[in-house]
Amino acid sequence: MSIRKIVTLTEDVLIEGGREVSPAARVAVVAAIVKNPWAGQGFVEDLSAGIDGSASDIGALLAPRVLEALGSPAEAYGKAAIVGLNGEIEHGSGLIHTLAFGNHFRDAANATTLLPAVEKRGPAGVVFDIPLKHITDATIRSHHQSIEVRINDAPHADEIVIALAAAAQGRPQQRLAAFATETK
Amino acid sequence: MMSDQGFGIRKIVYYAEEILLENGTSPAVPAVRATAAAVVTNPWLGGDAADDLNDEVVQLAPVLARKLTDVLAANLGGVEAIQAFGKAAIVGTDGEIEHGAALVHTPFFGNLVREYFEGESIICFADDRADAGATLVVPLWHKNAAATRTHYQTITTRIGDAPRPGEIVVVLGASTGPRPHSRIGDRLTDPIVKADTLGELVS
Repeated sequence: MSIRKIVTLTEDVLIEGGREVSPAARVAVVAAIVKNPWAGQGFVEDLSAGIDGSASDIGALLAPRVLEALGSPAEAYGKAAIVGLNGEIEHGSGLIHTLAFGNHFRDAANATTLLPAVEKRGPAGVVFDIPLKHITDATIRSHHQSIEVRINDAPHADEIVIALAAAAQGRPQQRLAAFATETK
Repeated sequence: MMSDQGFGIRKIVYYAEEILLENGTSPAVPAVRATAAAVVTNPWLGGDAADDLNDEVVQLAPVLARKLTDVLAANLGGVEAIQAFGKAAIVGTDGEIEHGAALVHTPFFGNLVREYFEGESIICFADDRADAGATLVVPLWHKNAAATRTHYQTITTRIGDAPRPGEIVVVLGASTGPRPHSRIGDRLTDPIVKADTLGELVS
């Protein structure tokens, strides 16, 4: 696994809708910019060797870092794979849609649900939004949220950006009815 | 100190890049570059181009210096780890460029940044007016010896939803080391370079 750069991002919201958010609402992201394991190989039918060689290591690297950046227990989480222009979206999906990747985060956060994800292909500097949902019950509506990320010089055409996101709370000023409680 | 909310800080964003490989090789001296950005309401909206900006500068700029230096020092391993710094302001489209300049180019910001970061250099900067989501390249140089060429570097800052037209984003940047693979000499090793020493190349 070849990692060029690790990016850490935190956003603290102190005011939303003109009203104070206390404590401030934090969402954290940690991203690794990795070489696409299948770069230059043409269409690779069986991706398992590349997945086995990278996915677990990347998950083990990112999971503790994103929780450290968050600084509080995670209540919501999500993940991302942004493939450089020479790669297939399937390459990014391969690295993040495996238990070998996600279980590092799930175990570290005491989480049980599926990690919501964004997978896309783009140039360096592409903007992407990571969706987050509650770590033990994906129907908890207060915790549906997303965080916007952009890395100026990544991904290069033969790279993939792999990221994890964690939130310490739901949306600031969340006040929607709980799932399935609406008046019909 | 008054609360952050009292000065209208809507959001604080921290962004850091740790370079493990550059041109395929690990930097001999690893470094983390980072920005801390605060989104504040522009206190001078609707004012006149001749208005005195001082009262708000005195109230707001020191609070931003304190907050942003705290965020960077806490994340980068303390003040001692910080070797280079820089600053920036992005004014929303309802404001004047001068409003951003007011928050970063007076002693009420710069002197406090130098004091908290234990630096002596003039702080290099970038100012702009733009819509939310604009990118701005923040220059950094050595906090005690600005002409130290190894530490000339930049980091790009951006917040997706700021500045709103009535807001200002104030940014402080820092680095814990030099550029990866810095190898372009310095002022002590440079040859004498003038147009006539270069001859035909520039004739």
